[in-house]
Amino acid sequence: MPVKSSEITPEKVYKRRRVLIGAGVGVLAVPLIDKAYGVFQDKQEQLEKPLSQVTTQPSAELEPLVPTPYETITSYNNYYEFGYGKGDPAKAAKTLVTSPWSVEVGGEGADKPGVYDIAELKGESAIENHIYRFRCVEAWSMVIPWNGIKLSDVIKSAAPNSKAKYVRFTTVNDPEQMPNADWAGGPYVEGLTIEEAMNPLTLLATGIYDKPLEQQNGAPIRLVVPWKYGFKYVKSIVKIELVEVMPKNTWWLQNKREYGFYANVNPQFDHPRWTQATERVIGELGRKPTLLFNGYAEEVAYMYPELDNRLYFY
Amino acid sequence: MGLRWLPIATRKHLLNIGLCLLLIWGIYEATIGPDLVSNLRDFTGRYGAYLLLITLLFTPFSQRFTWVKRNLWMRRNIGVWGFVYAAAHLLIWITLEFYFDWALMFDEVAGNLFILLGILAFVLLTPLALTSNNRAVKYLSFRKWQLLHSLTYVAIPAVIVHHFMAQKTAVLEPLLMGSVLILVLVWRYRHAR
Repeated sequence: MPVKSSEITPEKVYKRRRVLIGAGVGVLAVPLIDKAYGVFQDKQEQLEKPLSQVTTQPSAELEPLVPTPYETITSYNNYYEFGYGKGDPAKAAKTLVTSPWSVEVGGEGADKPGVYDIAELKGESAIENHIYRFRCVEAWSMVIPWNGIKLSDVIKSAAPNSKAKYVRFTTVNDPEQMPNADWAGGPYVEGLTIEEAMNPLTLLATGIYDKPLEQQNGAPIRLVVPWKYGFKYVKSIVKIELVEVMPKNTWWLQNKREYGFYANVNPQFDHPRWTQATERVIGELGRKPTLLFNGYAEEVAYMYPELDNRLYFY
Repeated sequence: MGLRWLPIATRKHLLNIGLCLLLIWGIYEATIGPDLVSNLRDFTGRYGAYLLLITLLFTPFSQRFTWVKRNLWMRRNIGVWGFVYAAAHLLIWITLEFYFDWALMFDEVAGNLFILLGILAFVLLTPLALTSNNRAVKYLSFRKWQLLHSLTYVAIPAVIVHHFMAQKTAVLEPLLMGSVLILVLVWRYRHAR
């Protein structure tokens, strides 16, 4: 027999509430199970999908790298010019026009400066494919199959002279195309030492999974330095300068205590507010240990003789 | 308020259902996008902090607004839900983020003020949540109960500082929360008997 609401006694209300809470928990479980299944399926698909031939496989591989799903790589991004949320760039970045695009290569350290169209830049050297670990300073990670050219090829063709001690990169900065263009009070700037720039691991990426870069991933061309934290991977590059003085990179200017110039991955040196000993693999549960130089120590450790110097590791 | 014709018990249920639905909505939203774990962790943490901060506003506002004074009962429900959100936040951290890896968790906590503050706040809030019922007030006597619950003035500042330290750049929101907190604390200090 149906009970009128006015007849409900406190005990019944109490029991009803239990039913409600139970129902609530049930509702909670549905999207979670659905999501977990989705993560599992994506992984299966990625394993089955053949990738184009990898031209060089870094020797430090401890386990076969399973690339993060394309949908994840293209929907989870830090690109503050398009908003602070991880999902913002994928939504907002489509306004960035990436073709035609030219990159200015110059600076006092370049004897042969020039302005190159993206096609010219790519045409000068063969596109290489590299599956690299990607480690963000925020302690999360992905595995990304990049397509790109060696930065060293671009630098060589600019004929570096003795003044070329550092390389300074600049991201496009256009308020018309970027809703949050002024977040850092100027264009995003990053830098490398010339030695780091010439390292064969260092790429100028133009694609992921054999597809041209999406805007949120830094289209049409962005830096890849797999042994460093993600903020070094400057996106949508318009200028590459060979310079004599260490460039002032954007994150260092934002917070000199928390972000440095070198930003090499090292589990021994924590961020002032969180540990760098472990990382969250996006799309997986739990954490895994972070590797020295993100697993690329064999290829890059020669550049940093003092492994206990914090200067190199934040 | 237009809901005065409803019995107070019904209004309590509506508030509880609302805050439960908010949690369900947050969990649903968190499943959108690739990073389920940090979405869940951040939603429960942020909204738990909002709810806890709101509980501190009842006393000062009740002096000025009769509507608040008549609805002081809401503070208990909001506070308990704030604790539920905080508990979910901690559980997500233990299960989904660290996958019960206690050694790793210990490393993360040791010497890390940011996380220590969060844990401190949770430890302080636990007895408050457990005594948020009439029976406990009677059992403890109102004086002692009130003294115990003045722990909110330690726990909630810890929550806000924890929230502030969790931000990479977007510090405006925790700073606003901090300003509200400071205003409340100043008010309490000046009106202390």
